[in-house]
Amino acid sequence: MTYLQLQHVTQRFDNGSEGLSEVTVDIEQGSMVFLTGHSGAGKSTLLKLLIGALVPTSGRVVVDGSDISRLGSRALPWYRRQLGIVLQDHNLLDDRSVFENVALPLRVTHLGTKEIGRRVRGALATVDLSDRGHLYPRHLSTGEQQRVGIARAVVNRPKIILADEPTGNLDPYLSRQVMALFHQFKDLGSTVLVASHDIDLIKDQGCRILHLSQGSLVQDTDGPKN
Amino acid sequence: MAAIKANRESSAQTRPNAWQPRRGRLRTWLADHRRVASETSLFISRRIVSSLLVWLMIGVALAMPGLLWMLQSNVQSLSQQWQGSTGLTVYMALGASEQLIEETATALEREPAVTRFQLTTPQQALDELLARSSESDLLQQAIAEVEANPLPASFGVILDSEQPYLALEALSRQLASRSGVDEVVVESTWLERLRDLSRLANRGGSALITMLLAAAVLVAFATIRLAIDARLAEIRVLALIGATRAQLRRPFLYLGSAFGLGGGMMAIVLMAVFLNQIEAPLESLLVSYGSDPELSAFTPQIILLVLTAGWLLGITGALLALIQRLGMKNSG
Repeated sequence: MTYLQLQHVTQRFDNGSEGLSEVTVDIEQGSMVFLTGHSGAGKSTLLKLLIGALVPTSGRVVVDGSDISRLGSRALPWYRRQLGIVLQDHNLLDDRSVFENVALPLRVTHLGTKEIGRRVRGALATVDLSDRGHLYPRHLSTGEQQRVGIARAVVNRPKIILADEPTGNLDPYLSRQVMALFHQFKDLGSTVLVASHDIDLIKDQGCRILHLSQGSLVQDTDGPKN
Repeated sequence: MAAIKANRESSAQTRPNAWQPRRGRLRTWLADHRRVASETSLFISRRIVSSLLVWLMIGVALAMPGLLWMLQSNVQSLSQQWQGSTGLTVYMALGASEQLIEETATALEREPAVTRFQLTTPQQALDELLARSSESDLLQQAIAEVEANPLPASFGVILDSEQPYLALEALSRQLASRSGVDEVVVESTWLERLRDLSRLANRGGSALITMLLAAAVLVAFATIRLAIDARLAEIRVLALIGATRAQLRRPFLYLGSAFGLGGGMMAIVLMAVFLNQIEAPLESLLVSYGSDPELSAFTPQIILLVLTAGWLLGITGALLALIQRLGMKNSG
């Protein structure tokens, strides 16, 4: 079942450059797909369109049957609560503990304290950081910080996980660990879209690969059955 | 992982249309307000010195208009008090006969605008003059050389406070035209000065109050803007994870309220200190003019007014900062 769709999406910026050009792609629910390409190929632009941070110049971005570029400012936050977003620079808040960083998405959804505690402990256990909840991000290694970012992304049980260069700062061992986590979330039903330029790592994953170049989709390689 | 799987299944059952705004969640909305209030307290307590400085700046900017406003209302009140004791002094001609003095007294008795009057005979006037003079010996010597009392009889007349100023003038002219009356002096100099002062305080004060209130808004605006800048990373993360605009604005509106209310309290303290300093000399001044020394100072209404003004200024500053930094004109 198609879950994410980009239909003839073009993204033109104010300076006239094109981030994406007539990109059309369908992504199945519960699949794991890699976006690859050089810097400036359009990977981050595509993810921003799916996050709702950009509105396409033309074309449609459809998620679960709804055109998200038409979501009003009131509905957009509610859509984003269905997303788990992982970024290269983690975007952790330095003045909050690991526990509080992971709890942030639950705070905005007004869950009760007990439920928040239960879910955060579950998410931290998933990324093998159960004993780090009381620490602050500056006390963690880069790999641990990335895993905290992943825990925060999945704590709200997202239907879609969008990751932008999640292994950019990690060594090969930690990169493989992170990929293993994404596979686990895919197996639980999340649709996972990972932007990365690490071709070697991507090839090892056996997933569908969308190759972007200068804003155009130039190659769509199916991996083994997801 | 098993825990997350179980969570996802229960989540799927309870949120069939998850990205449409849900309504009627008053309990959780209130809980969010409690959380933000608690975080705001924590934010301020962790930066207590800089918060005190902000309160002081807003307090000074609020105390000045507050004091001016109190000055205006007290001047008006004093003006009314002095208007109540405004009167005339009717000076009889030197050597006016007792009959003419009695006729004038009778005329004053019949006059409805006159509340009361008091005759000062030439001798009483002289005695009073001598008593007040520090050089009465020299004065007595001078009077002895003149061989006659140079002071006339006079009537101190207190008028009904409801009488308009024009009626006062008419009565003055009427009394001045009487036989045996040398001069009628309307004792309105202080009243006129006070009215001028009151008008000046009203006009100049209003402009000054507006400027100082604008300064208070700017202080709140600049402070909240800095707070927003310091928390931009947090705002970006919150926006990414689905915080609504209202949720993004709320901490800063609470901060603006806290700064405004704190500034209001600081203003009350500053006003109290200032009034305490000037209380004794001011009372002495008022007593010397025969006025009621009681000032209308800190009534509960004034305290409430200053606190409300502080809160409104804080909120206004926060809203301006949010609009400028985050472009959040619309509620969300």
